[in-house]
Amino acid sequence: MSRPQGSPSRKLISQAGLNSWLDDLAATGSLIAPRLAAGVPLYQRVAASNEIAWGISRSVLSVKQAFFPPNERLMTIRKNGQAIQLEETVPEEAQIVFGVRPCEARGVRLLDALFLDTPPADPYYASRRENTVLIGLACREMGPTCFCISVGGAPNEAGDVDVMLYEVNDGYVLEDVTDKGRSLTVDLGLDVYDYDPHGYRYESHYEVVSPLTIKWPGLFEHEYWQKMSERCLSCRACAYVCPTCRCFAIRDESIGTGEFERLRCWDSCAGENYRLLAGGHKARPEKGDRLRNRMFCKFHFYAEQTRLGNISACTGCGRCIDVCPVGVDITEVLADLGRQP
Amino acid sequence: MSANPLMPCLGKLVEVRDLAAEIKLFRIEMQNGGGEAFQSFQPGQFAFVSAFGLGEAPFGIANSAGRGPLLDFAVARLGSVTTGLHEQGAGDLVGVRGPLGNSFPMETFKGRNLIVIGGGIGGAPLRPVIQHVLDHRSDYGKLTILWAARHPSLLVFTDEYDEWRTSSNTSLHLTVDKPDEAWQGEVGLITQLLEKVAPARENAVAVTCGPPIMIQRVTRMLDGMGFAAQDSYVTLEARMHCGIGKCGRCNLGEKLVCVDGPVFNMAEVGELMETYL
Repeated sequence: MSRPQGSPSRKLISQAGLNSWLDDLAATGSLIAPRLAAGVPLYQRVAASNEIAWGISRSVLSVKQAFFPPNERLMTIRKNGQAIQLEETVPEEAQIVFGVRPCEARGVRLLDALFLDTPPADPYYASRRENTVLIGLACREMGPTCFCISVGGAPNEAGDVDVMLYEVNDGYVLEDVTDKGRSLTVDLGLDVYDYDPHGYRYESHYEVVSPLTIKWPGLFEHEYWQKMSERCLSCRACAYVCPTCRCFAIRDESIGTGEFERLRCWDSCAGENYRLLAGGHKARPEKGDRLRNRMFCKFHFYAEQTRLGNISACTGCGRCIDVCPVGVDITEVLADLGRQP
Repeated sequence: MSANPLMPCLGKLVEVRDLAAEIKLFRIEMQNGGGEAFQSFQPGQFAFVSAFGLGEAPFGIANSAGRGPLLDFAVARLGSVTTGLHEQGAGDLVGVRGPLGNSFPMETFKGRNLIVIGGGIGGAPLRPVIQHVLDHRSDYGKLTILWAARHPSLLVFTDEYDEWRTSSNTSLHLTVDKPDEAWQGEVGLITQLLEKVAPARENAVAVTCGPPIMIQRVTRMLDGMGFAAQDSYVTLEARMHCGIGKCGRCNLGEKLVCVDGPVFNMAEVGELMETYL
């Protein structure tokens, strides 16, 4: 993604100015933002800035859904006697996503490495990515389960969005990160503002062992996994809220007489029959095998598969910790494994 | 392959016939230029076949490109997609997406003796290896085929055994776990047959496919017979939904069966962090 030359240009925008800008964006296109959907913050289309859930730390589902939605149609199938017609349904709509937190934006960078940069590119993801502008919003503070700092991120990291906003006393500091972002803000006529986002100090609520310090391959056969997974429900909630979990299933669904859609929907390696083979052989039969796979995917496999090198595919957003009904805590896993010789 | 790797091309069923009990052979003629991608596929590659409205599933391509242009797939009736395919007949349209995955290194096999070990429908992805060797007979040494099934009714490609037996420098050895009254051949597991045939390891490579437990036992036995791990090839089955390295379902450690496989030699399998063998 091309970035403007020189030092980042930062400008000041008031809350009223920001609201008015977002109102314009919503009126002229598709604006997606965290919205209280029956009380739950989710990324949804908003008609105006007053529909945005201001003041939340993060939405329950991450911005992943803007590029890789929970369900999406890959094609429409029409059958008429022996005749069959296939219609490809790669999305083309443009969208602007507002309120993206740095941890989930980092998740998009990680998903890009698989869906765009590891051939063949996924045309559905690629089209959405191409047609989307991300407006980031730096966190004011780290939430109780946040640990982005421990996995290489920062609550004010601007590198993975097109426009970044930092909350300050007089409103927001706006920074154009990419040319795509600049084209969206160029007509706002804002004054340049001297602000150093890196001068802002964040306080982490707890210490988390860095996954990059753990020797993962040697821990694959460790008895820890079976023990740790005793309380796992295989409910898959952790995968659905994760900004980087990418497992999916493809299936056909009837949508009318002689009409079907080929659907891609989120899936999770936690599912018991996820790996069931045709002859009935169950690969990865134990919960511990599956929990281990998820953790290894985050901290070892994904970076290998996408050739990203030594990088964590967990962005420290803490969503899986919040959503787990039985308290499986990824930072506890890191702490336990960090203690292994 | 279509520019969109998740979009199948239409293929017409030219022939559907019983191959064994609950196993049918589908012979497909690609439509609307969709055959271009399949002009030069390699033995060991696979493709997704769609029963439109029910879904798609991956199958090893069961013939060699040289025996094309029709594409052969052996399909056992097990789930909804395969049941849907079994209900189709000649003239019906299905979807085909591929070719996908790596392949047996037929070039590096040249000049060597080949031992082909197939269990049940696991023999289907090995048939292109047999066909390729028979069609390039002077390029390869002795071809020893060990072919097994649980029951005589489950032996696949029975009508081709005469061709295999009568080809030069080629032998076929059959066994079944449980014979019926008409069966006059060997009875027992394929490992017993392998022990009896005892193929020489000198200048030989083995290729094995079948149920996971059979692959496990056979490859261990080959190891015991002195076959080097890099001369013992397997093609692995895995549940997969995309075939292009995205959906995450088929991983064995950091490797993905769909793009890093399905063909591995046992030295590579030995380095996998996770296997089900």
